[in-house]
Amino acid sequence: MWQTVSSGGAHVEEAVKQLLPPCQIKCPINEDIQRTNVLISLLPDDEKSAKQGIIQIGDYLYDKNPFFNVCGYICGLCELECNYKTKGEAIRRRLLKRFLSDYYTDYLNQKKELDVVKDKEKVAVIGGGPGGLMCAYALSKKGYKPTIFEASDRLGGALWLIPEYRFPKDVLKTTVNNLVRIAGIDVKYNAKVGEGDLTIKKLKDEGYKAIFYTGGTPYPRPLTFEGKMVEGQDLSGILYGLTFLDDVSKGKVDPNYFKGKKVIVIGGGNVAFDVARSVRRFGGDVTAVALECEDKTSKDGIPADEEEIVGATEEGIKIIHSRGVRQIMREGDKFKGINSPRCTSVFDEKGFNPQFDCSDCVDLAGDILIITIGQATDRAFLDKGGLLDEKGRLTVDPITLQSLKDGSVFIGGDVRKIGFMLDAMKEGVEATESIHRQLRGLDMTEGRTREYEKLDMPLRSSYKPAVEVVWASPEKRMNFQIFEKGLTLKEAIEEAKRCVTCGPCVSCKACVSLGLQTSLGIAEVDEEKCSGCGMCVYVCNYDSARLVGKEGKIVSETDMFRCKSCGMCVAACPSNARSLVDDATDEKIAAVYASLS
Amino acid sequence: MSNFEPKLVCFSCKFGWGYLGSEEKLASQIKNWIPVVCSGKIDTTHIVDAFKQGADGVLVLGCPEGDCHFQDGNFETKKRIYLLQKVLASYGIEPERLKVELSLDAEGKIIPELVKNMSDTIKKMGPIKALVAS
Repeated sequence: MWQTVSSGGAHVEEAVKQLLPPCQIKCPINEDIQRTNVLISLLPDDEKSAKQGIIQIGDYLYDKNPFFNVCGYICGLCELECNYKTKGEAIRRRLLKRFLSDYYTDYLNQKKELDVVKDKEKVAVIGGGPGGLMCAYALSKKGYKPTIFEASDRLGGALWLIPEYRFPKDVLKTTVNNLVRIAGIDVKYNAKVGEGDLTIKKLKDEGYKAIFYTGGTPYPRPLTFEGKMVEGQDLSGILYGLTFLDDVSKGKVDPNYFKGKKVIVIGGGNVAFDVARSVRRFGGDVTAVALECEDKTSKDGIPADEEEIVGATEEGIKIIHSRGVRQIMREGDKFKGINSPRCTSVFDEKGFNPQFDCSDCVDLAGDILIITIGQATDRAFLDKGGLLDEKGRLTVDPITLQSLKDGSVFIGGDVRKIGFMLDAMKEGVEATESIHRQLRGLDMTEGRTREYEKLDMPLRSSYKPAVEVVWASPEKRMNFQIFEKGLTLKEAIEEAKRCVTCGPCVSCKACVSLGLQTSLGIAEVDEEKCSGCGMCVYVCNYDSARLVGKEGKIVSETDMFRCKSCGMCVAACPSNARSLVDDATDEKIAAVYASLS
Repeated sequence: MSNFEPKLVCFSCKFGWGYLGSEEKLASQIKNWIPVVCSGKIDTTHIVDAFKQGADGVLVLGCPEGDCHFQDGNFETKKRIYLLQKVLASYGIEPERLKVELSLDAEGKIIPELVKNMSDTIKKMGPIKALVAS
């Protein structure tokens, strides 16, 4: 049976300064990408036996990231830094995780609850998005009793706003419901802290010893022009993208409302594209208007992902770049169009500060306007809770996430800095660590800033193309069914095999986990025998074997962090100066040879 | 001659051969089997030593081309074996006594068959001409 081990010698170690593959550095929670890629590549090729293996890989990932299956649909940050991009396309890690999700998400319904005794303090988590859920999960694992106070009637936060054609709601529901069950999280729905008598003070009075506020950015940002609010945003026919996506997720949008209408979507981010593509699926004739220019490499380039732009264009959405909104035009109390000046610059040294050329203005007529230019925090809550400083800013220690205004409150996620799902989750983990240290009287900062150094791509004689990403054709995907095809078992194994395992063995140990190796070795050099010829340097694909001058002699040495103990240098060494530490191969060979004669 | 049973040594890469099978069970089926973590780890001296110690043939099983977990171990081995075959031939040893196969067999099911096929070939050739230790 396919069996992996994660304890003992197969346990992945963490260090203060750590070499890692670039994908794992990019991942906010440093997922063990390389290890699980290797494990996928060694799965059995029949579905039935592979399933057991997939569950083991999934359980391993789940421990650190209970949303790994969600990543399979919406993340893929790791791919941005994949070393393979210097030789072709990145390893399709997101699709590999989607592949795991295809098997693992259903299994969540039968996954066992955490085996922990919750004998530590009660902690309040305000906000049930990915950051809050992650914090509650991490707190539970440490034996705390977390309660999530969620303002709405469902957990998942902004994940609900991602359209169903990209991310099926069933996956979200299964993931969140099971997380609450598995971690034993107490949840209070429709509990908006800051409203009525439910205040931070009351939570403290009720015995919550620490509070993690991760209320996100629940409010849409209104349109402004040159610092002033654009008038007429309350006209009939004008919506905010955030509200629209929320309504879509709740099935509250009348599918006929957009049919045949001219819809203008303002915004150049991924959320604006989610809006534009959803409206298109409701039959609207969509024009997206973005301040940013087409060239993504420019400082003023459009921020939406390339695949969103490609997908939207294929679906017949017109994109107008480098234009803003100066004026909303009306007919009675109904929206009629926008007056749109050319945007000459979006960012300057101070940050977002758009400049316009009003001599170059166009009128764009439309029936509906959807404003999707960003989100805002719940400032009223932050103000009332005494969490803002005299200048009205949220002041938080960036390492501990502790509020500088109230030491028992920790703040993280989008409310602090808008980011990706995993960024918020990482802050949930950090907040847990801080809460734990505070309640146990430990040093709040010691050893918390890790430094990572990325390893380069190993040398290879050949490279392979990535598995093809298959989308349903634009005609066939004008609905809310997921349009990206998942990988088959065979495709997943092949794609995982492409991973060149740039990272060091200590942060991987997939081979030990599967029993292919008993321990990690290292190549050592007998400097007496070494002639300094450099054959080992030539043959080492990992830049581990190097020549150095020592006591007037040139000898080779091994960089222990880069050495994979493959033994290639040992086989190539003409002076017999290299050998592998803790390696039983030679003994095994000797025993077999002794039996020959 | 008909009683001659060739002694074959079989090296195989663990990342390509038999990683899903039971090593114990395979070992009972394959005589003189030495699984290694990478075929690139097999030194020329390991192979020459096998012949010196009385092996009639050596079979090396590596991962498919382009698939080595350690990047190019199988490629290095293929090169090394090609050269070694030339050297062995110059000593009067048939190159067929040393064989490399780059393929994938996760269960290790076909290893016994590959060993048998090679043994059959060698059986026809007869025992190896003794290599004189240098």
